Amino acid sequence: MNVKEYIESGVLEAYVLGALTESERAEVDANLLQYPELADEIAVIEMTMQRFTENFAKETPAGLQDKIWDTLQKESIPNSFSQETDESKSIHKTIPLERTRELSPEIRWQRAAIWIALVASLLVNFMLWSQRNKMQDSELAMQQHIDTMQQQEQQLAKLMDNHSKEIDIMADTSVHTIIMKSMKPGHPMVATVYWSSDKGATYVAAQKLPMPPKGMQYQMWVIQKGQPVSMGMLPNKLIASASMARLPMDVKEGQAFAISLEKEGGSKLPTPENIYVLGKI
Amino acid sequence: MPSVTIYSEEELVMLLRQQSRDAFNYLYQHYAAVLYGIINRVIYDEQTSQDVLQEVFIKIWNNINQFDPAKGRIYTWMINIARNAAIDKLRSKGEIMKSKIHTGEEIVNTVGNDMKTEQATDAIGLRKLVSDLKPEYQTIIELAYFKGFTLDEISKTLQIPLGTVKTRMRHAIKTLKETFSK
Repeated sequence: MNVKEYIESGVLEAYVLGALTESERAEVDANLLQYPELADEIAVIEMTMQRFTENFAKETPAGLQDKIWDTLQKESIPNSFSQETDESKSIHKTIPLERTRELSPEIRWQRAAIWIALVASLLVNFMLWSQRNKMQDSELAMQQHIDTMQQQEQQLAKLMDNHSKEIDIMADTSVHTIIMKSMKPGHPMVATVYWSSDKGATYVAAQKLPMPPKGMQYQMWVIQKGQPVSMGMLPNKLIASASMARLPMDVKEGQAFAISLEKEGGSKLPTPENIYVLGKI
Repeated sequence: MPSVTIYSEEELVMLLRQQSRDAFNYLYQHYAAVLYGIINRVIYDEQTSQDVLQEVFIKIWNNINQFDPAKGRIYTWMINIARNAAIDKLRSKGEIMKSKIHTGEEIVNTVGNDMKTEQATDAIGLRKLVSDLKPEYQTIIELAYFKGFTLDEISKTLQIPLGTVKTRMRHAIKTLKETFSK
């Protein structure tokens, strides 16, 4: 360090005038230990400022001396160490405008580091949180997708099962296929009965039947010894799907199968003009 | 009534450490006026200045055992206690914060006006002393020594570079030194 330049810079004057920050003051203090000539310079500046301040001397009001002495008797801590060691140690203390502003560089860095860490942590947390939310959302969507697929698979399995049953039935040599044809000229309708003559099991598939109007239902009949016998009602679902369903009644013998449109719940005897399809065995 | 005996710095420290009434009387009679003058220079209000002077004596009294003569003169130590206590009070009263709201220029003007008032009311010697100092030097000494501004704050308030603030401080004190040696 160039001592002469250092003195010329005016930093020692700033030191005595109390215009340095904590860290700047600590720097001057350190230099004072290393270069004793700086102390001499400071002593001269201090003496000048002392002379300067003496010019402002102002007579104190009468009675103040006794008043302060009385207060001292009440408030003084004789021959003890007080907490105000700062006052005695740092005679050239700068009082920062805001007391917390002049922090040592280490504390400033520590504070900055804490703030940076806090902000970074918050950002990472937010990112993780939103990521987790997205993951949860996609997980939920995935789960729904899997559920849908499982349902579709079950439906397909059921359909496959039905189809294989149908194939089995159709492949069974004991099963007769009776195609019931339209009894209404100009209305092409068709339904099929698969009837196992030895077991009596009867299946029906409505390949082409119009949906019954509201309040009406299709009823299945078997003609035994010239008499129509009800085999039960055909659910509308069956008509719509054109799939095959087993009828609730086994048939040991008969001459024909027929489907008629009846009022909801069915009739004891088919309404003759409403017999839609009929197939002879 | 001033004491006839004049103690040296070391003797004064020894005396103060006895914490006797005589020690207090000596301290008060020799230093109260200077300390009061400094405080009053910072805080213009007389009553507040007297309160601060009392605080300063309490601080000197209670901290005399921590004072290290190797580190500096007791006179400088006491002056700095007074200056710091007064600036502290000024800040706590929010007076400087009020003035901070104004622009730097206004502060300079305020400081200048205060100086003029002081010049009008103070003793002839001081009037001459202050007028010996260039206005830019007066302002810098005023802001640093009596208002507690840091170099950075002075630089920003007066809008002059930091280095200039320091060199002006050096020149100001050099001028004062030469005035006193006349």
